[in-house]
Amino acid sequence: MSISIPENKKISPFLVFFVVQKMQFGIGILGFQRIIAKNAGHDAWISIILVGIGVHIVLWALFKMLETVNGDMISIHTFVFGKIVSKIFGIFFILYYLLLTVTVIRTYVEIIQVWMFTDLATFWFSLVLLSVVVYIIFGGFRTVTGMAFFGIVLPFYVFALFLFTLPYAEFNNLLPILDHSISDILLGSKNMSLTVLGFESLLIFYPFIKDPKKSKKWAHLAVFSTTMICLYLAILTFAYFPENQLQKNIWPTLTMWKIIMMPFVERFEYIGIANWCLIILPNASIALWCSSRIVKRLFSIKQRTTVPILAIICLIATSFLFTRKQVNLLSDMVGQVGFYLNFIYFPLLLVATLIAKKVKKNEVGS
Amino acid sequence: MKIPFKKKNTEKEALVKVLSKSNDYRHLHFTNEKTKVEFYLTFIASLTDEKIIHKEALPYLLHGELYHLDDVPELIPIAETEISTNAKDIENKLFNGNVLVQVVGNEEQLCFFSAQREVGRNIGIPEVEFSVIGPKEAFVESMKQNLNLVRKKIPVKELIIEELTIGKVSKTKVAIIYLEEITNQENVNTVRQRLQDIDIDGITDSSFIVQIISDNQNSPFPQILDTERPDRVTAGIIEGKVAIIVDGSPHALIGPTTLVELFSSFEDYFLNWIVSSFFRLIRLFAVTFSILVTPIYVATLSYHYELIPRDLLSALVASRRAIPFPPILEALFLELTIELLREAGARLPTKVGQTIGIVGGIVIGTASVEAGLTSNVLLIIIALAALASFTTPVYRMGNTIRLLRFPFLLFAELWGLVGIVLSFCIMLTHLIRLTSLGRPYLEPLYPPRGQDMKDALVRLSFKNQAKRPVFLRSKQPARLNERDAKQKQDIDE
Repeated sequence: MSISIPENKKISPFLVFFVVQKMQFGIGILGFQRIIAKNAGHDAWISIILVGIGVHIVLWALFKMLETVNGDMISIHTFVFGKIVSKIFGIFFILYYLLLTVTVIRTYVEIIQVWMFTDLATFWFSLVLLSVVVYIIFGGFRTVTGMAFFGIVLPFYVFALFLFTLPYAEFNNLLPILDHSISDILLGSKNMSLTVLGFESLLIFYPFIKDPKKSKKWAHLAVFSTTMICLYLAILTFAYFPENQLQKNIWPTLTMWKIIMMPFVERFEYIGIANWCLIILPNASIALWCSSRIVKRLFSIKQRTTVPILAIICLIATSFLFTRKQVNLLSDMVGQVGFYLNFIYFPLLLVATLIAKKVKKNEVGS
Repeated sequence: MKIPFKKKNTEKEALVKVLSKSNDYRHLHFTNEKTKVEFYLTFIASLTDEKIIHKEALPYLLHGELYHLDDVPELIPIAETEISTNAKDIENKLFNGNVLVQVVGNEEQLCFFSAQREVGRNIGIPEVEFSVIGPKEAFVESMKQNLNLVRKKIPVKELIIEELTIGKVSKTKVAIIYLEEITNQENVNTVRQRLQDIDIDGITDSSFIVQIISDNQNSPFPQILDTERPDRVTAGIIEGKVAIIVDGSPHALIGPTTLVELFSSFEDYFLNWIVSSFFRLIRLFAVTFSILVTPIYVATLSYHYELIPRDLLSALVASRRAIPFPPILEALFLELTIELLREAGARLPTKVGQTIGIVGGIVIGTASVEAGLTSNVLLIIIALAALASFTTPVYRMGNTIRLLRFPFLLFAELWGLVGIVLSFCIMLTHLIRLTSLGRPYLEPLYPPRGQDMKDALVRLSFKNQAKRPVFLRSKQPARLNERDAKQKQDIDE
């Protein structure tokens, strides 16, 4: 069962690069260094490479499944488990993407509250953010992709600015290599998962790609570039912070910006945080779009009605997370779910899909 | 059998009854000297040229061999004549400057000849889109002349001019112009369909049409380019765009267009590509600067003064020490003053307008700094921003930029730099969603098309302009033989 999307609503294959990378690259990047270094210490960069390789494998599995059924996640589930089970799984994914939206928005609000405006009203600010998200989604998937595109291209200069830390970097921090146990490094990899999460949204927007075969290389390139950026940031961070000091910084990326000094600008983290708005908006839009898209696929409700409703649910959820602990709990939870989903569930689903395909083929054959 | 005849007659009578209320309605009786045939001339004096009637029509009608109405077209040396029996034509023809000839005894048959009076100014130099180099002619109000200006520049049979009439009362003539072999038919159909769908009583200018046929009428951004330069219109048509010329309007319309095109001046094509690319980048910078600089001033001084290095901060603080207002009020006060000056300047005759500029700019500016109402740093910033906003080559776009600054200011006051980025995101989303005649407005930035970047933020040399823009989906994408253009000779050959 393939889903027909009007040709003019589809996106070119190379734009998949931006959507996939955008989903991976969001709020996690501001603070992943501390989390991965918790277990793996300065060897955590090996964890990043391991995760990168893992993501490539999972991505391959996703494409394999999608090609088998030529549809989206719902078609895969229906193909393997039948209609009723697929609905249950679908509802789980709706919740998952809602949680992702809430995490992204709430964490961003949290960062602004810590670094810029201590008494920023969570409700009002989230209201504006979510209204913009709804406005973006109302423009269709092409607009969502467009924001993803600008969300990567425009703030890209930020990465060059990290080089300002080089004069203070102590690359000896990285030595000796491999003085942590393999299990520690693997634990670091697991902790890394929230940062690289999100590429599985491919399962939802796959029918929106023109000529999906061509998009494969772009998706892999996107995943590769995310790994490279994380690696680049992690190495600079580990060189910049001594290991113990790193554990005291919740958002090491932001702390690193503090060192940037130009004749007309100091304290660059203000500009950086403001800029991050451009990065998290498409992020939240893709997640909320995915959520509403699944609702449409499952219950045939118009996205025009679901998007505002889901946004209001997100708004309520965001406003009820008050403390740092709660936000942390939420992002940990999403990270855990994402980890098991991506690295355990999807490979199993691939096996199930292949078996189902064989069985159905045999049935047709006999 | 008699009823339709009678009905026709009463229709005519009703028309004559209404027409004779107007003083410029003429219904004159003449007799041919040779054949003694009596005839009537009917016309609207204000629309017809009396010279044509007196010199080119009457002598022949009075002294020639006029027996029947059918002889009229042969007698008079006027090309545009028509014989008809349809009484419905009368109103339409008379109001287009035609003269009606009727021979007594055979009133059912009508002969029209054209004696239109040509009033209007001569072709002048472009005033809104002035360029130092290049052609110096601009469109005028007469559609005939404007079409002539375009046709002269593209003397091929493929240039199609379709004419429509829009407006129940104004009966405005509108022409759609395109090249048959090049323009995408879908674009032409869109334009034609939208023009035909217009249901309005009167159109007095092409700006009415711009607003009515735009894809999103609730957007401050102009989605169709309007220009007074015939060369720009011809260039657009050759590129594969559709042009619209409206009778009575000195501005032609070109569509589909893109945001980037609205920031390009036609002079860019007259200058060397390196120079014009530089100018384009400057303009782009100017626009960004003009929109963002005041909001950034408000954001940094209200919330993030840590951003500014200590030496610079002390200069800023010193200039603001005596000022009793928060930065937002200060900025709003000055921005509104500048807007007032512009508005006053635009409404006044040129000579008085200049005085207003001097009075406003120098006197109010200096006085408000001396009175301690605004800081001189902000005065510099706002004056620069106003100057920068004048660099937009398309007037409509300039107006949009004037307006855009205010939402940015508001958001900057609310949430500082985050607010500025947030409003930027809203603007960006709006731009991504916009289309011009169904084509993406932000192209080639999004959807990203490397090929079209040749004439976007920079303008590359003509050698690199071998292809028509992708978004126009032209039937004939190649403009020139790319291989020949790119071929290079070896050294010493």
